[in-house]
Amino acid sequence: MPARYDAVVIGGGHNGLIAGAYLARGGLRTLILERRHVLGGAAVTEEIVRGFRFSVASYVVSLLRPEIIRELDLPGHGLHILPLDGTFTPLRKGDGPKGGDYLWRVNDHPRTVRELRRWSLRDADAYEEYGLLMVEMAKFIKPILGLLPPDPTGWDPREFLPLAGLVRDFQRLPAREQAVFVQLMTMSSADFLDQWFETDPLKATMAASGIIGTYLGIRSPGTAYVLLHHYMGEIDGAFRAWGIPKGGTGGISEAIGRAARAQGAEIRTEAPVARLLTRDGRATGVALADGEEIEADTVVSTADAKVTFLDLVEPGLLDPSFEAEIRRFKFRGSSGKVNLALEHLPEFTCLPNAEDLEHLRGAISLSPSTDDMERAYDDAKYGRWSAKPYVDIIIPTLVDPAMAPPGKHVMSCFVQYAPYHLDPSLGSWDDNREAFGDTVVDRIAEFAPNIREAIVGRQVLTPLDIERTIGLTEGNIFQGELSLEQLFFNRPVPGYARFRTPIRDLWLAGSSTHPGGGIMGANGRLAALEVLRAKRGALAAVGAGR
Amino acid sequence: MTVVGGAYDAVVVGGGHNGLTCAAYLAKAGFGVLVLERRERLGGIAETVEIAPGVRSPSIAQTVGRLRPSVARDLDLRSHGLSLVAPAVRVFAPAADGSAVVLWADLERTVEELRRRGLAVDAAAYPRFDRLVRSLGGFIAELGETTPPDIASPGLEDALRGLALGRAYRGLGRSDARTILRVLAMAVADFVAESLQSDALRAAVAWRGVRNTSLGPWSAGTTLNLLQDAAGNDGGAAGETVFARGGPGALTQALASAARSFGAEIRTGAEVVEVVTNAAGQATGVRLASGEEIGGRAIVAAVDPKQTLLRFVDPVALGPTLRWRAGNIRQPGTVATVSLALSALPAFTAADGDERVLRGRILVGADGVDALERAFDAAKYGRISDRPVVEATVSSLIDRSLVDGAADGTHVLHAHVQWTPRKLRDADWDGCRDELGDRVVAALERIAPGIGALVTARRVWTPLDLERDYGLTGGHPWHAEPALESFFLWRPMLGYARYRMPIDRLYLAGSGAHPGGGVTGGPGQNAAREIARDLHRR
Repeated sequence: MPARYDAVVIGGGHNGLIAGAYLARGGLRTLILERRHVLGGAAVTEEIVRGFRFSVASYVVSLLRPEIIRELDLPGHGLHILPLDGTFTPLRKGDGPKGGDYLWRVNDHPRTVRELRRWSLRDADAYEEYGLLMVEMAKFIKPILGLLPPDPTGWDPREFLPLAGLVRDFQRLPAREQAVFVQLMTMSSADFLDQWFETDPLKATMAASGIIGTYLGIRSPGTAYVLLHHYMGEIDGAFRAWGIPKGGTGGISEAIGRAARAQGAEIRTEAPVARLLTRDGRATGVALADGEEIEADTVVSTADAKVTFLDLVEPGLLDPSFEAEIRRFKFRGSSGKVNLALEHLPEFTCLPNAEDLEHLRGAISLSPSTDDMERAYDDAKYGRWSAKPYVDIIIPTLVDPAMAPPGKHVMSCFVQYAPYHLDPSLGSWDDNREAFGDTVVDRIAEFAPNIREAIVGRQVLTPLDIERTIGLTEGNIFQGELSLEQLFFNRPVPGYARFRTPIRDLWLAGSSTHPGGGIMGANGRLAALEVLRAKRGALAAVGAGR
Repeated sequence: MTVVGGAYDAVVVGGGHNGLTCAAYLAKAGFGVLVLERRERLGGIAETVEIAPGVRSPSIAQTVGRLRPSVARDLDLRSHGLSLVAPAVRVFAPAADGSAVVLWADLERTVEELRRRGLAVDAAAYPRFDRLVRSLGGFIAELGETTPPDIASPGLEDALRGLALGRAYRGLGRSDARTILRVLAMAVADFVAESLQSDALRAAVAWRGVRNTSLGPWSAGTTLNLLQDAAGNDGGAAGETVFARGGPGALTQALASAARSFGAEIRTGAEVVEVVTNAAGQATGVRLASGEEIGGRAIVAAVDPKQTLLRFVDPVALGPTLRWRAGNIRQPGTVATVSLALSALPAFTAADGDERVLRGRILVGADGVDALERAFDAAKYGRISDRPVVEATVSSLIDRSLVDGAADGTHVLHAHVQWTPRKLRDADWDGCRDELGDRVVAALERIAPGIGALVTARRVWTPLDLERDYGLTGGHPWHAEPALESFFLWRPMLGYARYRMPIDRLYLAGSGAHPGGGVTGGPGQNAAREIARDLHRR
């Protein structure tokens, strides 16, 4: 092991691995340090119940940037994404005028339109138009993901040059698309969808993708943007190309880890970083929890902004106003996860399993009405987990049977809302973990009563657990809320949205940075490219001086 | 005055305060102007009505503190009878337990008051917060006076405007410039929490971010509304509280008098049903319900944008895409008002006999940010909150002329009630008018025990009344929801924020246009500037 590295990356989640891979690819001697025994951060697969393997936290993938897959040759390193087809919304008896029915959208567009015609002719027509429009919107906004945000308080007109192209592209959009784009950036997902659709379960299910990971409801302004965020993945490959990696989301991390090693990066697990080493205000390396010190020219942190600046950086080193802004950066995790080991498949009352299991192969969304979704949020606003939560269910064993013993299944339930900050009268999340798990199982049982007898094991992750095990502050899965005031040049702090930090040679590359969270990898890649560019600039300067 | 070929230079549809402001400016510039008001009375929702013999009250709008000083000055409203009164107190927010937040016009008095009530930390933080709101509000005021630039084909003027705004932005200084970009889209609950600690104080300020909206304090973008409310009049963190002597109707009467003095004609009882267009698709006049047609070189709609585009304009001329867009302008009205004639001044527990604190805005039911949010929650499901938030004024404490025909000791209390959704799920408004009145009295009873027994007359205006009687689509007093989606360049719609509507020679001058609602005269003043420019060019 060399005495010092060119670059040390803190965190072996997907962004850390990607950043490390790109740094190594750029010729830097790179070391990636992961706190846990397993790589992947939130994208990990673990055997929680004997014989059953779970994507513990993050559970689907669609946003991973195609250039990363290409440049790092991830398929060559074992990445294999299995398609997930469709979203199934079951209804209970009494859920609106068509209670006891279901709404089932699949990748086969004509089939979805036929299904929607059962509900509303108007919506079936609008669905077509809406889908095309959103793809156009996603195409327009996609370049922003690869753009370095300007510093709007820099007063330097050059700061805004990268935006000029964007403004030009905007002006070229047809008037209606311009207007819809503004709405996407400002409206609530429910209000936005109201413009096209009247079928309530359809609106509820579509709007749900606007609130995932946020502490907002479907009627909160700003959630329409998150709808679009989730559409991005759908434009690179097939329409609605969501998938799960073979072997769970840990499969992605392992593939990226192999790719990083192939580029020459070293990776150490069970190597928790305790603090940043600095000299004269510059980062010079890291100290591990056991006291070992590792020196490096550059330190790239993929821990979130709060962990990086408030836990790893020695107090007093940061400018107080910067530190105040970091403390202001909002996390407020709002989701939990329940992983179930199942003896047999659940059976939804509205569509029995007798004939075919196709409807269980995609996402199953417990979002029977917009009121249901909004009430779930109301509970969270006042510090309670939703009595009737929104649950996004995947049964990975239907596409990847190796995740469980033969004939048995694993079921991943993403649950919202579970606010990190509970009302004090409820005590801590440690006192409420199983009660929360019961709420989720009860909720599923409203739609699929046989779920109870099918469960042979369960893992409940509260936001507190997500914070503890994965190291995400307040359990926020995006390393900071994706609210309007925390995007683009404000992420994480105005003036520091370009991966650089106030400490020289310390860079930030996790989801706390532009363009935000999700298994996207853009943050890690963009940050690594910025580090390399800065290094080359420094070398060129030295060369010129000679 | 130039009335060419029987046609006016400008026909203004709607005699509310923006229509009258716009008409007065155009007439002052020498154009021939006709104002057409559907109702028998002028003023729209800024009016004074008699609710009992000798007892006069505002109907919908209560105070006029946001009126642009330049409007009052340019139109010399004082000489037309406008007299403004600003009490020393701005806000009195009593809680049921007898505690209260009191914000004064005088900053030091407010700080002293906060300290006296045991809020030492907030007393220390308040001046800084007040300065921040003034600074950011100052920038929003400059934005409000600017016609949004033409982004489709920007010209020299747009570039100059952009530069001027850039200067104003830089004038904020680095720290505030950074702050404004961060906070504009923020929930007002988060914004106040960054500076203030006491929940009751936070609520008293945050209320201004959600007043007149179908949003709660946790909704993104409500900080912008707070800053809009602070824009232009230096209201600061407490906000303005200014009464027109004679009620809000006195303001619109002064505006009408000013407009007439410059030569404008005003007709009431004249309902416009159609904007007439020629073969070239230009607006050339209006048709009244009586069938009468009146020509104008410019047609100025000072009514809400949905009504303008969907009711007055030929659907074929507008086209399906714009009809779809106009149809989606959101107007979720959530405001009702209740006016009470009282036989004596009620005793507010938290006022402790000090009548001076009752002279401003009395905020009821905003005991904390969550109380505001819970009141809003009910509206999302089409219900009236069990604990509505009420902003009341006792204008007779300021202006005895409002009750000079009534028995001695009579007072008039006007209550703005939120959130009362226009679309009720399981009821209709005509059926629950009394229920609403009862709930408001019950809410007041909690902080002023015995007030119910003092009520000698009561009048309730529901959101349905706002729609039916005042012609506000959706019952929205601000014509279009003041949410992030309807701001500056995209109020009321992207591409049509420059007061020029999609039909050539048709203009929008009401609250649905930039800079939005409130008794400011802003949209009317800005629109007049653009209309005059077009008329001069033709």
